[in-house]
Amino acid sequence: MKNRKKDTLISYAWSGPSLILIGLMVVFPIAYTGYISLTNMNVYHWFDFTIIGLDNYFRALFVFDSGFLSALLATILWTVVNMVLQLVIAFGLVSLLNIPKLRLRKLYKTLLMFPWAMPGYVSILLWKTGMFNTQFGLLNQWMESLGQETVRWLSNDVSAFLCCTVVNLWLALPFMIMIMDGAMQSIDKSYFESAVLDGATWLEKTRYITLPAITPIISPAVIITVFTTFKQFDVVYLLTQQAGAKTGSGFHTILTYAYENAFITNNYGYSSAISMIIFALLLIFSARYQMKEGNR
Amino acid sequence: MTRKRLKEGLWLTVLNVFFIGLCFVTLIPILYALTVSLSGQNSLLSSDFSFIPKDLTLDNYREVLFGEDILTWFKNTVVLAAATVFLSLLVAVPAAYRFSRRNFPGRKAILKCLVLLNSFPAILSMFAIYRLLRPMGLVNHRVGLILVYTGTMAVFSLWNTKGYFDTIPTEIEEAARMDGASDMQVVLKMVLPLARPSIITTALQVLIYVWNEYIYATTFMTGESKYTLAAGLNALQATEMSGSWPVFAAASITVSIPVLIIFFKCQKYMTSGLTAGGVKG
Amino acid sequence: MKRLLSLFLCICLVLTLAACEEKALDPEEANRLVIWHDKEDAVIQALQTYLEKAVPDLQIQFEKKTSLTDSLKLVGNDPSAAPDLFLFAHDKIGVFAEMGILAPVEPLLEEGALDNYLPMTVEAATYKDTLYQLPLYFETLLFMYNRRYMQDEEVPATTDALLTYMEANTGRGRYGFVEQHSTAYYSAAWIHGFGGSIIDESGVPFPDAQAVKDALSYHAKFVALMPGETEYNTVNTLFLEGKADATIGGPWMVPSAREAEIDLGIAPMPVVDATGKALAPYSGVQGVHVLQFAAQQKTEAVKKLLSALTAPDIGIELALASGCAPANGVCYDDNRVAEDEMVQAMRSTAEIAIPMPNIPEMDVMWTVVGNLLTDVNLSGKDIETSFDAALAQAEDLIAAMK
Repeated sequence: MKNRKKDTLISYAWSGPSLILIGLMVVFPIAYTGYISLTNMNVYHWFDFTIIGLDNYFRALFVFDSGFLSALLATILWTVVNMVLQLVIAFGLVSLLNIPKLRLRKLYKTLLMFPWAMPGYVSILLWKTGMFNTQFGLLNQWMESLGQETVRWLSNDVSAFLCCTVVNLWLALPFMIMIMDGAMQSIDKSYFESAVLDGATWLEKTRYITLPAITPIISPAVIITVFTTFKQFDVVYLLTQQAGAKTGSGFHTILTYAYENAFITNNYGYSSAISMIIFALLLIFSARYQMKEGNR
Repeated sequence: MTRKRLKEGLWLTVLNVFFIGLCFVTLIPILYALTVSLSGQNSLLSSDFSFIPKDLTLDNYREVLFGEDILTWFKNTVVLAAATVFLSLLVAVPAAYRFSRRNFPGRKAILKCLVLLNSFPAILSMFAIYRLLRPMGLVNHRVGLILVYTGTMAVFSLWNTKGYFDTIPTEIEEAARMDGASDMQVVLKMVLPLARPSIITTALQVLIYVWNEYIYATTFMTGESKYTLAAGLNALQATEMSGSWPVFAAASITVSIPVLIIFFKCQKYMTSGLTAGGVKG
Repeated sequence: MKRLLSLFLCICLVLTLAACEEKALDPEEANRLVIWHDKEDAVIQALQTYLEKAVPDLQIQFEKKTSLTDSLKLVGNDPSAAPDLFLFAHDKIGVFAEMGILAPVEPLLEEGALDNYLPMTVEAATYKDTLYQLPLYFETLLFMYNRRYMQDEEVPATTDALLTYMEANTGRGRYGFVEQHSTAYYSAAWIHGFGGSIIDESGVPFPDAQAVKDALSYHAKFVALMPGETEYNTVNTLFLEGKADATIGGPWMVPSAREAEIDLGIAPMPVVDATGKALAPYSGVQGVHVLQFAAQQKTEAVKKLLSALTAPDIGIELALASGCAPANGVCYDDNRVAEDEMVQAMRSTAEIAIPMPNIPEMDVMWTVVGNLLTDVNLSGKDIETSFDAALAQAEDLIAAMK
């Protein structure tokens, strides 16, 4: 009994620093946002704010109108499309990259990591001005040389959604490839060897060896990516919704929508309430997901 | 036999062609930046673009390396990144090991909460973090940024390493423990070498996060001499009115190169020490 | 394990020690002024050189801050993290004054120091009858043209003439005139030309609805002759590559136009035929703001600095160094300044230009107007419904600020 207690204590001591840091930099901001959401902290009460109860939450409900709902649906679609594509493409590429006789593998991997090595806003700027720009973008220059009409790539909802997806995949795939590659390396090669002896096809090997082996390793990274995709702001905002450079697309994720309809007011109490509500929404989603997982 | 080799050769050629094509397509935006960075005209855009710049010049790179404070920013970034990666692994590995190997009270609940923490839209976290750093005197201080970065990445680091530790069979450790090895020794001598791929992916992810992060860096650090590369780049770009695109493009490319070199070098170590039925070497 | 724990404790200890380092205000500290800014190097260089000579006993430190306004909202009035002063455009005065971090500037100035200032700049720096900024220089949009394509006598005096010119000279990848037509800052000129405005002094959005709608529907004819996407980079490149004959742009375009060897002409803004008013762009007045704690604790140093900055010399320096239009009217008497075509053009535009509203409510109007313009110009939506939606959004957002 005493031993067990001691063991627990040691466990907490070992994980203490990590948990404390998470507490400070992740949990504390959540708690603080929760606290601010109960106050009237805004431009007119920046330092002398007082607790006003749930008022901000009642007001926030007005933001959750049809615009918010369609942004929410678009965000769910966005997350699903992006995650499916990311996982499938990354898995396909990593499988190919791990073919034993591919000598230049290291070079390919390194080159494919390039998008990841640049700050995100730089890449997005490059895509927006270099690729998608109606007047000068490479895409339209190619369209012209092929004798086609030029296209305003970012101006309507569907094509803006697709363009944002391309850019997001471009930005996110390197990470996914690296994680999957790391996981793939860990598979005991002898399994494959015996499978080959048994005459297993590639599909069978993938299904019965590769996937079960990498799933537990990549799942933390995948789950975290699901959340980042859901909370995506930069790609959509910088490509289509940036103040002063809007393109006319109505595609919003919940965060860009909340930004335009709340965060720009400088009313921190109100904006915090909206953040907390989005937080709650996502919690409900992930709780449902976990329940489904648990039933399996 | 030769037929089989021929078939294999053909397949490898197709594969190589595919990857060369893929790399090219992937790199188009970057090649675009490269071309802009090598051209003498001050324009990010041009109506008659070709991948071969018209008046080829290295002036922009010269200006990046000697004109801007890029070497100072580089030094700042390296210090920050190294410290953050080190601290991240220092706090994550022991925690991940315990979470993976021991079933202590609160373990499950904590793990579950850690996932859920990702749901929070951190767009307004800046205030809270300021309130936190300010009484510690860490605003405009490197240590403050290191703590913020490590904390932000801590959930990922802990989780990612733990996920890998879970797949390492415990039998090997038991044997070592029988021989009287302490927990610390087991982690350092056995678990870490086995978990190399995940340690490296974690370290790389942290490194790249620090390398590319600019919001905290510009908010909490004042003065150009304290900027990181990403923050400095952002400043170059933000002054669009006087900004020079070729210099900006050259700077963007210069900034990415060290990361790529590190990545290339790391690949050697990405394979696990785990092989059939035991531990290698 | 123990080693790890002790290491962690050590780190904590160091952090606490670092926190205890409180500074007292010694005389040297009282003469040290930190100024945040986000300006280009030429401006800061000119200021630095001038101040070293003018106030040698002050230690003035310029620090560049890219996210200046966001950072100020964080650090507020905290002497350990905030600057003493900051150099920024006047349009955030309302926000910072309401937050309570700005000190009124008037008591820190010598009497009559602002007598010669252009009235527009002083008006811009005043919020709720209090002066919160010492104006240094200002920027307005200018009508610029490329003499290679548009002759001096061709320059349109009215908007109808401009439209005729555009119709005659647009097509096959060339444009008679381009501007950032769907950006609030640029379209304000058109709204003002029709006698409307984006927001009034008391925070009412679109006080004259009809004028805004008229401006939008008239302006749509021009938009049809311009490219669809017209953010800064596109417009800039079109003009600099000689693909557009004329544009409305800020003074920041001039250096790059000269670099691109464009024979640049600057003309007065065209007059709207229907109203007889010229397109009246927003002006941004750049100046020095004083934080409250600095005004209280470093009063003498701040006074000395401000007094040096009101001298005409610095205005002249700035005009010569980077083509800024000085706020102090005396500067324009200088021969060298009088010769600068661009500075003079801005000075005359200052007569009609309208300072960007500095009330906090304006912050949300940039987005609202941006959305309205995007709907009308880019998505081709109906003006009436788009306007009503924008008005509703503006009212919601303004209500949400409180």
